[in-house]
Amino acid sequence: MAVEQPSQPTIGDLIYDKLFHNYVWRSIFRTGYPNTPRNQMLVVATNVFLHLHPTRIHRTHVKITHTYCLGGLTFFMFLGLTVTGILLMFYYVPSVDRAYLDIQNIQTNVQFGQLMRNMHRWMAHAMVILVFLHMLRVFYTGAYKPPREFNWVVGVVLLVLTFLLSFTGYLLPWDQLAFWAITVGTNIAGSAPVLGPKTRFWLLGGFEVGPDALIRFYTLHVIGLPLLAAIFMAVHFWRIRRDGGLARPL
Amino acid sequence: MATVVVARPALRPTPRARDEEVLVWPDLVFVEFISALLFTALLFLLSYLMNAPLLDEANANVTNDPAKAPWYLLNLQELLLHMNAALAGIVVPTAWLIILMVFPYFDRETEGQGRWFAEVNSVKNTVVSLMVGFWGTLALILWNSGKVALWLKDWFGFSGGDTLAFLERSAALKDPSIVPWPSWADSIPYLWFNLKILDEGPGAGVTTFQKIDLPTLLVDIGIPAGFMVGFSCLLIFGFWRIGWVLTRRDALITLMSGFVGAFLMLTIIGTAFRGPGQDLIWPWDLRTLEGIPGQESH
Repeated sequence: MAVEQPSQPTIGDLIYDKLFHNYVWRSIFRTGYPNTPRNQMLVVATNVFLHLHPTRIHRTHVKITHTYCLGGLTFFMFLGLTVTGILLMFYYVPSVDRAYLDIQNIQTNVQFGQLMRNMHRWMAHAMVILVFLHMLRVFYTGAYKPPREFNWVVGVVLLVLTFLLSFTGYLLPWDQLAFWAITVGTNIAGSAPVLGPKTRFWLLGGFEVGPDALIRFYTLHVIGLPLLAAIFMAVHFWRIRRDGGLARPL
Repeated sequence: MATVVVARPALRPTPRARDEEVLVWPDLVFVEFISALLFTALLFLLSYLMNAPLLDEANANVTNDPAKAPWYLLNLQELLLHMNAALAGIVVPTAWLIILMVFPYFDRETEGQGRWFAEVNSVKNTVVSLMVGFWGTLALILWNSGKVALWLKDWFGFSGGDTLAFLERSAALKDPSIVPWPSWADSIPYLWFNLKILDEGPGAGVTTFQKIDLPTLLVDIGIPAGFMVGFSCLLIFGFWRIGWVLTRRDALITLMSGFVGAFLMLTIIGTAFRGPGQDLIWPWDLRTLEGIPGQESH
């Protein structure tokens, strides 16, 4: 009676074994690809990036038409803007003498500089549009209703912060478009009764758009507002889980 | 509607049936991953095809005409053309943000969440409100920019002279030759002393309070505020009468959709239809006098 012998490992098996079953790889990823439901839930629950999610979700919520991924994509734009923004910061100095030249330099002399600037610009516009559409999605699916009242309020704050992030970034190229847009924009803020002129002065660091305005907008754009937005986003995402995940019919 | 939230656990979602659920890995994580990839590819493509604009270096002595705010603020800039600056630039956006925040505290019903347009009539309600907001705003813009008067004159040979100047622009109503304002109307004292707030130091504005300019108050604040509040209330009231608005949720849908319509129209007009001197023009005639690279041929 012939006994079936185990087949010899192929060269592919050996390479796979060397790559993914070695000591170093195992120190980073404790398990292999999660191919059982138990491991799939474990990977979501224990991974630092994925544990924002629950391990299971109602099946209507993964339908693309339920959310169109709008909130997630808004956050993704924020991440992309952070990456491209950091790359732009390597070359950009927020002084009136250098700002415009630096942007020209980024566009002409820096490898992929024009691409990075374009990405940053279009992602910023995309984020404003996506966050607005996300708000409409939440509204028209009635997802602001109890118990998610407060998270809606946090969302409105994030909408304002997104506008402010975009607005402060608008001045930085220091071209005519930027200069006059911010002049018009801050004039709108300055029209407030009683506090308006003071607010405008505080925002610009002077009576008109100049060096002080540039450094203020830059600081707000690259650290102040992103930090604030990150805090509110953390609360926003945390509250989604606390309030029972996405809204669904009761 | 006096909902006293005592039994909070009753608001929690009911326990889910396990067979209604899917695993986040792979069913959600992969959807997120694919949409992120798609958007990255799309934005790379867009960035490859279209360069971010860069005009000449900023120069405070060379004005851009038209000088425009970023596009998402052009709705406010458009409003500024039609009413008091503080009302358009500060009061309206602030009030709207507060109204938005109050939504869930006004409509506390838990019914109808998690589904698109869950209420009876909500699609009709949304579409019609959106259209009313959209085209109604256009009508008001055309009226206040004098186009209506122009068309009446050009197409029907109808001209009312000065008495109908308000058809050209609402500001004409401030003119004593059109509306017989009494001579004291533009400085009615309401405080017996001259109140000054924050009128010293850098950035101080004209912030004294003692008298009211009634014609200006009525025309620049009263009429536009009346239109904005009045139209919203009228729309909700009308929908209530025909049975489209039955609950607070329905009223909010009307309000929100009307807002979105008006917001869109204001943004479109401000972006594409405002030329030098903020005059209404066709988008293909749009040039900034200072010049956009590639369009300096004006």
